[in-house]
Amino acid sequence: MDKEEDPRNGVGNGTTTKKPRLSGFITDSEVQSEFSHHEAGVARINNGSFGCCPGSVLAAQRSWQLCFLQQPDHFYFSVLRPNLLRSRALVQTLINADHIDEVSLVDNATTAAAIVLQQIGRRFSHHQNDAVVMFSCAFPAVKKSIQAYVTHAGGSVIEVDLPFPVKSNTEVITEFRKGLSKAKSGGRKVRLAIIDHITSMPSVLIPVRELVKICREEGVDQVFVDAAHAIGSVPVDVQQIGADFYVSNLYKWFFAPPSVAFLYCRRSNASSSEIHHPVVSHEYGNGLPIESSWIGTRDYTPQLVVPAITDFVNRFEGGSEGIMRRNHVQVLKMGKMLAEAWGTSLGSPPEMCASMVMVGLPSKLCISSDDDAMRLRSHLREKYGVEVPIYYRAPKNGEGECEPKDKDGLITGYARISHQVYNRIDDYFKFRDAINRIVLEEDLY
Amino acid sequence: MASNHRNGDSHIHHLPKKPKLSSTSLITPSEIQSEFCHHDPSVARINNGSFGSCPDSVIKAQQVLQLEFLRQPDHFYFNCLKEGILRSRTVIKQLINARHVDEVSIVDNATTAAAIVLQRTAWAFAEGRFEKGDVAIMLHYAYGAVKKSVEAYVTRAGGCVIEVQMPFPVNTNDEIIHEFRKALERGKENGRKIRLAVIDHITSMPCVVIPVKELVKICREEGVDQVFVDAAHAIGCTDVDMQDIGADFYTSNLHKWFFCPPSIAFLYSRSSPKCLDLHHPVVSHEYGSGLAVESAWIGTRDYSAQLVVPKALDFVNRFEGGIEGIKKRNHDKAVEMGQMLAKAWGTNLGCPPEMCASMIMVGLPASLAISSDSDTLKLRAHLRENFGVEVPIYYRAPKDGEVGVITGYARISYQVYNTFEDYTKFRDAVNKLVSEGFTCNLLSN
Repeated sequence: MDKEEDPRNGVGNGTTTKKPRLSGFITDSEVQSEFSHHEAGVARINNGSFGCCPGSVLAAQRSWQLCFLQQPDHFYFSVLRPNLLRSRALVQTLINADHIDEVSLVDNATTAAAIVLQQIGRRFSHHQNDAVVMFSCAFPAVKKSIQAYVTHAGGSVIEVDLPFPVKSNTEVITEFRKGLSKAKSGGRKVRLAIIDHITSMPSVLIPVRELVKICREEGVDQVFVDAAHAIGSVPVDVQQIGADFYVSNLYKWFFAPPSVAFLYCRRSNASSSEIHHPVVSHEYGNGLPIESSWIGTRDYTPQLVVPAITDFVNRFEGGSEGIMRRNHVQVLKMGKMLAEAWGTSLGSPPEMCASMVMVGLPSKLCISSDDDAMRLRSHLREKYGVEVPIYYRAPKNGEGECEPKDKDGLITGYARISHQVYNRIDDYFKFRDAINRIVLEEDLY
Repeated sequence: MASNHRNGDSHIHHLPKKPKLSSTSLITPSEIQSEFCHHDPSVARINNGSFGSCPDSVIKAQQVLQLEFLRQPDHFYFNCLKEGILRSRTVIKQLINARHVDEVSIVDNATTAAAIVLQRTAWAFAEGRFEKGDVAIMLHYAYGAVKKSVEAYVTRAGGCVIEVQMPFPVNTNDEIIHEFRKALERGKENGRKIRLAVIDHITSMPCVVIPVKELVKICREEGVDQVFVDAAHAIGCTDVDMQDIGADFYTSNLHKWFFCPPSIAFLYSRSSPKCLDLHHPVVSHEYGSGLAVESAWIGTRDYSAQLVVPKALDFVNRFEGGIEGIKKRNHDKAVEMGQMLAKAWGTNLGCPPEMCASMIMVGLPASLAISSDSDTLKLRAHLRENFGVEVPIYYRAPKDGEVGVITGYARISYQVYNTFEDYTKFRDAVNKLVSEGFTCNLLSN
């Protein structure tokens, strides 16, 4: 345990704020109570998709919503902006951004991608033979956004394969270098590299800092890190990471209600004055943070509860760092338990995952398409009360030796299990038993 | 219309759009007050136009949906969301007399709808389908956000923008039609093509109902490519019939006058070969499936405001005459209150009764010396903070040669929760200011 946070080390020496109350940390039963609105009887091991929000933050949000409904004009003129600024200031500290002007609040990473890509797309109209680099497993919305704003404007897109299962950062770095070379071939200029901090499916923690450095070395114009899962999952230091744009959803791992994300735009980036929210309001031209703070009448309350979230998080031992550490340890423990129970393996080494890990599913399940994966997921939800996303990993030709296997054949399916503060070991036992039953009883799905 | 019994449709068994005939089931005045009991009771809330209002029964319905998502978001996403959005779109389609539900998309607000329509125009310029210098026409009193959107998407892409000058105070539709024709002529000068006309159905400030049907007809006669009607205020306020109006694109906010929570609007786009490439600027995996489908998923967010349209319709149907009854009574009351105030202050209305719906512009006594936009904001704040009256003020600059004219107008709204006392409170506040010799330059910045 971090010495600074241990109350036994004498809290009365004047250090404050990040320490939890002396009355004690949040208890187990208080945690369950905060998430008592989660459906009972469901092993909710998919925090990664839609996140979660504790009762106390929801209550704070309701207060803001009521404030608006009571007197919306007063809310608009006197309440909204100062409190958006408060949220942004907290985020700035959280991510170690140099200046608050670099921090905008938007709905989600999907919106942030549209913002960054619209700006890139505008430059493409003038130059042909330019390229954008991304991972082949980039989030589907991001891929479509690239199609809408880059391909549509005449740019080329180069995909970098993510080796999976993956054994080390080196494998990822090697593939990335290959992808960059390909992108630059034929004298093309690489205008943008989109790098996931934690990929979605399959989920792997990517060595972003190294990849950003390589991008700089190779003369890539701009680097956009899609870190949808990162905040609350891994420590985020945007100055260290060094990207031009960095986005993360606060509602996934940082206990915000749906939905709010931050988009960090480095001030030194030449194009920062050309970044705009696509929904244009009277604030157009006042900088992205201000533009995003008013895009017409809407419910902005998810963006106002960041102070309530930090209060919540600081009730835990070690605050956000403590939560991240424990989630990481637990998810690995659960992942290993499942892999052992099923005779399979994990999709990545411990250091390449955060609070999610890919667990190989028994080959006997015969998952042989994306449709199969989706059907299994629905089956698990409807018949077994387990919520977990399933990934179909197509076998690669001619790599028999390296292919993931269990005693019965090739592993073609992986479950992405999450661990968040509300999870219990029984959630994972339930999943383990469900799969065992499906295999044993040849339960068709 | 199809549901009119007098047209011999009684043999067709479809759900009646009319409210129950038994008067015991109509909502009572005290029930209405109860539905809006969350409104700050100390405020004379005569600005429904800006942020709208939402009855408690609809808010509760919304909260149920929010909770459903929080309980089990994956189930909500896979099994509930799409059909809920379709249900809302179907209700809207019937309300606005669209031909097909495919023509109806749901978005956050009219500001978003404007960005969608204008982005399409920007692409047309970028791809050379429109020539640099081709024209977009909009009203001088177009909403601030829409003006900026036109700047961001049209001017920036090389288009030329022409504003239609509008008289205010205004006396007849002919005055508006006359100015519109003049602007069209200017637009067509030097063989230019008018690609888009952006026409308000009800202007915001100053507030006037525009003869859109006639203007759309003129646009067709004069060869304007497409017409976009910004009807932010219209639904629940004035008649909204897509076949009758005949525009290519039409948007209106349901959170203003149709009792939905913040925020939801529809964007109608006439199904024709020219309307195929409308896209939501926030691109998700649904890209390319048509605007309605794209808008139904733009990443994880709270879609609950978009799902309560059936509930809002239920609420509306508790009133005598349903939405038609509400519109008529609001109109009559707004005019009556406006006339009462104008008489009490010795001023005039900004337009005749037939050119207003549920809002009307009431001249403020000249002695208040409103002489700038900033004065109006200060006076508005003064009324809010010191008199408990919420009402937007408009500065009408004197024209050359005008002396001693009224330079300030209040835009009063009337909605079902308003009472006579709201307007007498406003009347008395202004009378007090006048009797005390108040002028706007007494207010500090």
